Amino acid sequence: MKFIGLIFKSARRSKRRTALTMISVALAVFLFAALRSVLDGFAAVSAASSAQRLVTIRSTSMIFSMPTSHTEAIRSTAGVTDVTWANWFGGIYKDPKNFFGQFAVDPESYLRMYPEVILTPEEKEAFLADRTGCIVGDGLAKKYGWQLGDRVVLQPGIPVYGSLDYPFTIRGIYKAGSSAVDNQSMLFHWKYADERSSPQGQVGWVVTRVADPEQATQVIAAIDQRFANSPYETKTETEQAFSAQFASMLGNLNLLLGSVALAVVLSTLFVAGNTMAMSVRERTTEIAVMRTLGFRALTIFLLVVGEGLLVAVVGGAMGAALARVVVNAEFLGLAGGFIPLFGVNNWNVVVGIGLSVLIGVLAAVIPATMASRLRIVDALRRVA
Amino acid sequence: MGLISNYNLRSMIVRKSTAAMTAMGIAMVVAVFIMTMAIAQGFRGALVASGSNDNAILLRKGATSETVSAVLRPQLPLIEAHPQVARGDDGKPLASPELVVIISLPRVSDGHPANVPLRGVGPRAFAIRDTLKFVEGRRLTPGMREINVGKAAVGRFQGLALGSDVRFANATWKVVGVFTADDASFESEVWGDVDLMMPAFQRDGYQSVTVKLVDPSAFDSFQAAVATDPRLDLKPEREREYYEGQSATTGTLIRVFATFVTAILSIGAVFGAMNTMYAAVAYRTREIGTLRALGFSRVRIVTAFLAESVALAIVGGVIGCVIALPVHGLSTGAMNMTSFSELAFKFRITPGLLLGGLIFSALMGAAGGLLPAIRAARIPVARALREI
Repeated sequence: MKFIGLIFKSARRSKRRTALTMISVALAVFLFAALRSVLDGFAAVSAASSAQRLVTIRSTSMIFSMPTSHTEAIRSTAGVTDVTWANWFGGIYKDPKNFFGQFAVDPESYLRMYPEVILTPEEKEAFLADRTGCIVGDGLAKKYGWQLGDRVVLQPGIPVYGSLDYPFTIRGIYKAGSSAVDNQSMLFHWKYADERSSPQGQVGWVVTRVADPEQATQVIAAIDQRFANSPYETKTETEQAFSAQFASMLGNLNLLLGSVALAVVLSTLFVAGNTMAMSVRERTTEIAVMRTLGFRALTIFLLVVGEGLLVAVVGGAMGAALARVVVNAEFLGLAGGFIPLFGVNNWNVVVGIGLSVLIGVLAAVIPATMASRLRIVDALRRVA
Repeated sequence: MGLISNYNLRSMIVRKSTAAMTAMGIAMVVAVFIMTMAIAQGFRGALVASGSNDNAILLRKGATSETVSAVLRPQLPLIEAHPQVARGDDGKPLASPELVVIISLPRVSDGHPANVPLRGVGPRAFAIRDTLKFVEGRRLTPGMREINVGKAAVGRFQGLALGSDVRFANATWKVVGVFTADDASFESEVWGDVDLMMPAFQRDGYQSVTVKLVDPSAFDSFQAAVATDPRLDLKPEREREYYEGQSATTGTLIRVFATFVTAILSIGAVFGAMNTMYAAVAYRTREIGTLRALGFSRVRIVTAFLAESVALAIVGGVIGCVIALPVHGLSTGAMNMTSFSELAFKFRITPGLLLGGLIFSALMGAAGGLLPAIRAARIPVARALREI
């Protein structure tokens, strides 16, 4: 402990170098925490998924719809307590680049199925009462500066919905109660879209609540069995399995982000290791003098490692703190559609700082070994 | 110049461990840059390779991709009748009405279902896409429940091998051939007879029609002819331009990600180079004083140290290129946002990309070396010489 002052002193020896190294470590930790938070965002969606909800889609693929009669058939399946359905609208808001999720839903049953969609009682009432009303997530409303009562016009993007524009009135701005729903989507009355569709009476997917999650497997089998060999065969999954699919379709994110993170750590190791080696080399004479005075080799070793740790951890803490502030969904205004909400959480910060400890120690080990093994006679003779 | 560059080169070798560390720091950044950009290039390459300048694709007016387009059956003969459409050996027009739907098949790697594009094609599709080559089996026979599978899809999805049966749309389809298409996106697709696909998926129209033009220059007159025909509410587009547009969304996403990561990484590497160069300058203060006393101007000292830093960085850049090169040709997959399905493609490292990596490393070297070099030039001669 008594050497802490000495460690601080040596770190301050070349202030510019220490600062540059700290910032390098800070940036690496920043990047690492940011990448980590994206992966966590995907994991959070599937973790927050309800075990009681099942999603039924057409077995061929999600893009095909099924007749509304399916919902009634599913409702009568044993073990099912509630049913709702939705369609992907895929409309264009002003420009095709403004991409966000738009779902035509059966309002009452949908809000019952997803208590995570949080509305005030007045908003809910207003939405249910207005056939051309819609509700939008608070993230989406912020992105486009929408207020309650605003008119939003969507141009249909899929031929099924005809070619005329769909005007909507915003009746509610909902908050997302958990990661299972995102706050970047727009929900509106299924009937409004259906009356203009051709063919009519089509639903994209059906969401079912089961009384007991333990029975999910049997219910899934019962539902799919019911439609087997019909023109509209179905595939039912738990909500968790269903949302995991989207993440896996984006490609092998774990591998890609993982290898980038590895490169980040390696390149920072080179920078920090180099600095430590330089710092030790400069102090060759000084270290020899300390050894002559009776400092033990181990003490010298620990001093150098301590310096590496100090620089790396201060840098790491700066980077992690910066990431905590900058990388969150609200600040960035990203996400929506298939990209889940993500933000650096406290756990990412802890892991990031842990990483900086690792960088500090690894970067200092070789220079510290060099310093502790120094031959006093040679070192004293050397003129630096 | 010879003397001084020789001097800088030698001092780099004297301080080899420091120099090596700095170079490696830069090498990692360049490697990440090249690898991520290789993904973006590979993705774009796969889509662009799908389009040919000889071909035109007709979509419904206003449709941005095949999935949201519709072409009515009676419109096909009207399109085929245009003189700009090339004829095959049998005198029939080279036009292929197509329908793209997405089917879900389990992936080989983890067994999870993923979206696979299924293209229903007309009998002339193979004559229009002349890059298509069969590596196994044969073309599908129109009217039979047979499918052909792209080479990239064979390895990625279960049950797509030659001779196996695949079940979708309440029917069983036999894989009778596997084709390659110069790494184009077609290799990720499954092809079947369009006239069987339509009833199987309850569709009553096509989504697009692709025609081979008699000559690439005939496109303009073809476009004009289609525009004046009131029975065709369609918009022809050069096939290559269409596919380039299709790669934009996902391609931009990957490129933004690559830029973001490398920009942050490069700052760290520049700081590393800066540290090294400051140390180099401090270490050689006396030598710099001597050089100045001998009559080397300040500008010469700045350029010399800058050149040293750039040279060091380029060495790192070369190492980075070497590290990144093995990923070239590795295949991977990503979701194509416009078609909502998986597209297999290969990492593509071009000479241009490598050159870009080297220029990038040189810039990092210059950025890191500038301040230390100026500092070197500013050292007062008398004080520098007095230093031990």
